[in-house]
Amino acid sequence: MKARWILIVYAAISLLALMLMLSMENLYVVIALVAGILLLGHRELWSLIRHGRMPVIDERVQNNLTGAMRLTGVFFFIASIVLILLLRFNVFKNTPKELIVSGQLVIVGFVYVMGYYYYDRVRPCLGEKAVRWLRICLITAGLCLSTIALAIVLHNLVSVWFGFEDAFFFILGLLVAPAVLALSLLGCLVIYIKGLCASFSTVEQS
Amino acid sequence: MKTRMKEYRARLGLTQEKLAEMVGVRRETIIFLEKGKYNPSLRLAYGIARALEAGIEDIFILDDDST
Repeated sequence: MKARWILIVYAAISLLALMLMLSMENLYVVIALVAGILLLGHRELWSLIRHGRMPVIDERVQNNLTGAMRLTGVFFFIASIVLILLLRFNVFKNTPKELIVSGQLVIVGFVYVMGYYYYDRVRPCLGEKAVRWLRICLITAGLCLSTIALAIVLHNLVSVWFGFEDAFFFILGLLVAPAVLALSLLGCLVIYIKGLCASFSTVEQS
Repeated sequence: MKTRMKEYRARLGLTQEKLAEMVGVRRETIIFLEKGKYNPSLRLAYGIARALEAGIEDIFILDDDST
């Protein structure tokens, strides 16, 4: 019940924000909000379209929703800090701010959906070894994101303090860390898809 | 946790869908329970045992590895 109320409150707040953004003609944010609402309420919407009723929210769904929301919250928090740092140092000089915020909202929506399906389908079908690898890949990705933000800050600070163009933090922040980030995200995706495929065959076999 | 849900369900001629409806959960929850990939709460375990007309300890067997 708690999860359903959170979704209803979220939808109400999103609709208010949507009206506000529409009145301010911020189309990117409007699109992102609509995508976010659709992503977050996809189970409910799908069930309403397919069966004409709200889906069953049992204890397992509640646990999955709680897990996904926690994951999304943590991601949103980290993403916001990284984004603020990047914006502070004018990394996205020529990109409209509303486009950046919209992008973040849509990515957060995707993280929520992926988080939900992780707890619902992927996690039960992954072995301990795969879960350990997934954790390693996620931690590496998180560290890479922090490294990128930190390297940008340090690169700028070195330029300001010592008056020369630093190469170390530049290469670290713009080449090494993004490459490792891409590799770890790819690893996560492979394990995730493997688990998802295994879960589909488990459900189909039953 | 091992379960004998499938066996008891078959004995009563219940489908996963029907059992899910009886205990108020999704079919997927029954699937993962039968595969031993989800540990139910005590309330759900009691509900399932009651629906399958058996004792809770007949349906859910705790193996030594999972303790």
